Amino acid sequence: MINFLLLLLGLAAIGTAIYVVGRLIFDIFAMFRDRATRDDGDKAVLWRDVKAIGIVAQVAALLAIVGVGAFLWGNFRDRTDAIGLKLGFDFLDQPAGITIADNPLIAGDSVGTAIVAGFFNTIRIIMVGIPLALILGTLIGIARFSSNWIVRKLATGYVEFFRNIPPLVVIVFVWSAVFLNGFPTAQNAWKPLGEWFILSNNRFAIPSIMGQDNFGVFRWILLAALLLAAGVAYWRTKVFDNTGTPHHRVMWGLGTFFGIGLIAYLILGGPVSMSKPMLDDRGRVFSNGFRIQMPFAAITVALVIYTATHIAEIVRGSIMAVHKGQEEAANALALSTFQRYRFVVLPQAMRVAFPPLISQFLNFSKNSSLAIAIGAAETTNIINNLFGQSQPAPQLILILALLYLTLSLILSAVGNLINRRLQIVGR
Amino acid sequence: MKSASKLLRVLAVLLSFVLVVSACGSDGDDGGSADGGSEDAGSDSGSDDAGSDDSGSDDSGSDDAGSDDAGSDDVELAQGGTLAAVQSAGTLQCGGNDTLPGFGIVDADGAFGGFDIDFCAVIAAGVLGDAAAFEVTPLVAAQRFPTLQSGEIDVLIRNTTWTASRDGAEQANFLHTTFYDGQGFMVRADSGIASLDDVSDASICVLTGTTTLLNLNAVLGDLGIPFTPVEFESNDELNPAFQAGQCEVWTSDASQLAAFAANMDIDTAILPEIISKEPLGPVVADGDTEWAQVVNWAVMATVQAWEWGIDSGNVDSFLSSEDSSILRFLGEPITDGDGNTAVAEVGLGLDPKFAYNIISQVGNYEEIFEANLGPIGLTLAGSPNDLWTNGGLQYVPPFR
Repeated sequence: MINFLLLLLGLAAIGTAIYVVGRLIFDIFAMFRDRATRDDGDKAVLWRDVKAIGIVAQVAALLAIVGVGAFLWGNFRDRTDAIGLKLGFDFLDQPAGITIADNPLIAGDSVGTAIVAGFFNTIRIIMVGIPLALILGTLIGIARFSSNWIVRKLATGYVEFFRNIPPLVVIVFVWSAVFLNGFPTAQNAWKPLGEWFILSNNRFAIPSIMGQDNFGVFRWILLAALLLAAGVAYWRTKVFDNTGTPHHRVMWGLGTFFGIGLIAYLILGGPVSMSKPMLDDRGRVFSNGFRIQMPFAAITVALVIYTATHIAEIVRGSIMAVHKGQEEAANALALSTFQRYRFVVLPQAMRVAFPPLISQFLNFSKNSSLAIAIGAAETTNIINNLFGQSQPAPQLILILALLYLTLSLILSAVGNLINRRLQIVGR
Repeated sequence: MKSASKLLRVLAVLLSFVLVVSACGSDGDDGGSADGGSEDAGSDSGSDDAGSDDSGSDDSGSDDAGSDDAGSDDVELAQGGTLAAVQSAGTLQCGGNDTLPGFGIVDADGAFGGFDIDFCAVIAAGVLGDAAAFEVTPLVAAQRFPTLQSGEIDVLIRNTTWTASRDGAEQANFLHTTFYDGQGFMVRADSGIASLDDVSDASICVLTGTTTLLNLNAVLGDLGIPFTPVEFESNDELNPAFQAGQCEVWTSDASQLAAFAANMDIDTAILPEIISKEPLGPVVADGDTEWAQVVNWAVMATVQAWEWGIDSGNVDSFLSSEDSSILRFLGEPITDGDGNTAVAEVGLGLDPKFAYNIISQVGNYEEIFEANLGPIGLTLAGSPNDLWTNGGLQYVPPFR
């Protein structure tokens, strides 16, 4: 994967260079062709020709960029030559010698494998954290319009407090004050609700679902039920569109899904069961259930708290951007507060909010690198670790940048896709 | 008009030249990746050069006059660079630790102190004649080699272990070992862990970017002891994590464990196993032999003075010593049989009185050790860091 990204970077650089230079040359020829077709009286002297001046400016800019780049590269090469630092990417196949908790990575695995393992941990943080931040941020944003004085002021205080401290401080605070010292050690783990939850400052474990006999069949039936439920919801929407009868599509869909699921569960004789988390007597081995290491929980919670403040501000701003008449119209129709937000205000506000939200999602993904401070083994942590293990720093930094760049580009591409669907289609 | 269009034509030619050059660069990229496998895409001209530096017989250094020439040019360029640069700047840039009690830590006033930091002072005294003429750049473990490679610091003294791959791949030049250490394990006194055998499945706190981490994975992996690593970047976070019980075991150099245990409220125990050799000492970047020698002899002067019993309190009394070796060491004039006096010149490019400056301003090895590591409970007598005449490992070549 890393090799592929490096290849892409190389191709992109070459492509950009060829495009820029090629376009410039094309412009020059176009200018001369243009001048050749004009009469002498009709054309300006060359140094007053706007096109010529533009081309000279472009060439100057290009030469400046190439010059600065060459200077920096020369500096870099002088230094690497002086100390004999190796360039190239062969080191990716060297054994990394590092391991990650709860990860199959072994010490003999290659540097490339270790980096990818760290990258997947970053993706896990993001996949869990961004939806949570969006939900929390939206709720807080709406709460700032609450008619309840306490709710309104609490929301304002929350936003103003967390928005104005650096994310690293939030992370270290949440890690240290809440998770590290707020929870007991694994040896004295807190096991509420009949030991179905195990909470400690080492790991958290919650119940999960475990497959039994006939689980394979059951899975397919659930998938079919999901498709059927979607079909039913679509049908209800159509009925609503045609007749105006209330559609209740969510209820219908859920009813279909769970009805089929329940029948299949009974017929197949219990294909799934709850998996109860276990902890051995020494307080060291967690098994069964769903387990998460404390640093990952801490970074996710801290970033959700931090990012939600920014999302709340965006949501608040976009709600204010919805014309007041819309809200008044909803009130005139006697819609409840929930209905007013759900059907009138939020759909319009989200259209405004979405582009800045994308940039908050990107911030979330980049801020996840701060997890290095609290010992979560994500991309930056692994790469930084490798610096110290005699692996070459310049190449690793390049890879680090490439990985975050890829992540950001994918996130913003998905975001822009959604954004395009949200926008009003102009006629 | 005509001349102007001619000018533009020249410009166009110039531009196409730029295009060709950049295309050549890209061709080089492609060629490199074709030659060296798909891994090399991106910066293959670089890997070619590095390859030729290594093997010397590689014929791929097409753009250089020759790989060997290029190598020696670079060495000549770097030769003498650092010493002159430090002396003209008047300040030694020293990379150190700021979170390790006893070795390198910042006190309440923001001043650096510790065993490693004192050796920064030793080098400053030797090179510049002023033990205060140095600045410490605090570094986390993972950043120390990139910082040294970049030339930001002149010398790295940050409890750094001398290993083959660091000498090789990190382009570091390790000098006289100032502290012989070994990797140990610390647990809470009430944890019920008595030896490495009891550690299986435990969470173990360790710093990223250290040999400690590699040793841990290698040794426990070979022993078949499963464990969960909890990897921190700095002791500032690792220490509270251990004290709060996130991990049951803390592994690091035994001296570091002792240093932190001395400042902890909880009772701790050190396991009997020492799983590695950790020789710690000053490090300089490869490629400047003169500078490496200067730093090395400045550091070794403290051990030599200790061997002779010279310390900061009595150094002046040795200026009139009968022993010509001591006079040579301290840069005092030596009288020969004919009554001529001359100051011995060892040719290191240093003030002949550099050893005197070091001892009088900072002290000898024993003084530095006792002042910094005594308070955290480390003893010098009988340890590997004792003088060779006492059965320890501290032995330096003669000052002749």
